[in-house]
Amino acid sequence: MIVLMALAIAIYRGARAGIVVTLWVIGLVAMLVLFRYHVTSPLDLSF
Amino acid sequence: MSATDSAVDPQSPMRELPVEPQPNSVLSRIMFWGAVAFILGYCATLLGAFGVQLGLGEFPCPLCMVQRYAMILATLPAMWIVIEDLRGTLTRGRYVRSLGLSIIASVCGAVESTRQILLHIKPGDPGYGGAVLGMHLYTWALITFVIVILYCGIAMTVNRYAVPLAPTAPWLRGVAWGVCWLFIAIIAANVVAIILLEGFALVLPDDPTYYNLLHQLGIGA
Repeated sequence: MIVLMALAIAIYRGARAGIVVTLWVIGLVAMLVLFRYHVTSPLDLSF
Repeated sequence: MSATDSAVDPQSPMRELPVEPQPNSVLSRIMFWGAVAFILGYCATLLGAFGVQLGLGEFPCPLCMVQRYAMILATLPAMWIVIEDLRGTLTRGRYVRSLGLSIIASVCGAVESTRQILLHIKPGDPGYGGAVLGMHLYTWALITFVIVILYCGIAMTVNRYAVPLAPTAPWLRGVAWGVCWLFIAIIAANVVAIILLEGFALVLPDDPTYYNLLHQLGIGA
């Protein structure tokens, strides 16, 4: 979440596009890692 | 003149490029306010989630928080569009790039909310947390992600005719800036909330029932 706050401040302050996109990608990867960490079991479903 | 003299190499940088259509000013203004409405919509959604958390005392699970991340990641490019437009630095390329970032974040968010829906899809499962207007928050989250993907798809489709155009009236510009500030304040509130929930741990507990930081510091429950 702190990465997202830093990204919001970077956008607000008019940071260079490379910095904004890099922070956004770091935020996305961090989110996916967290999601992967919290998905611990296969779904108990059968279709 | 021979036939070869008039032939134009399609790879030549000197070839005549198709004329770009003149942007439609009405549609461009609609797209600007569409981006502002996009930010405002997610402000309302995230404030609603806070309302459920603080008002009803329902603590967000880790998957709920990851979906909040996705909402913020999808909305930050829209805020980038609005702020660049207000500063007069928005180009068509930057606009389309931001829409693309929003789509990527929304697809990831949709995957996350679908996972949570499938966790509770069996008959008899009460789901996680209470329902709002008959649906759980993660179901609403999936609906918002689908709406964002549709919005960005439409905005990309009409980008030849409409690149957001910021208003010139100071009060309208103030409204747009105000929405951006509100969104930044909501992100800051989420930072505080996650610190309170996680405490000194690196990740959230699977089923949080109290603010871990307060518990660790011996304050409150």
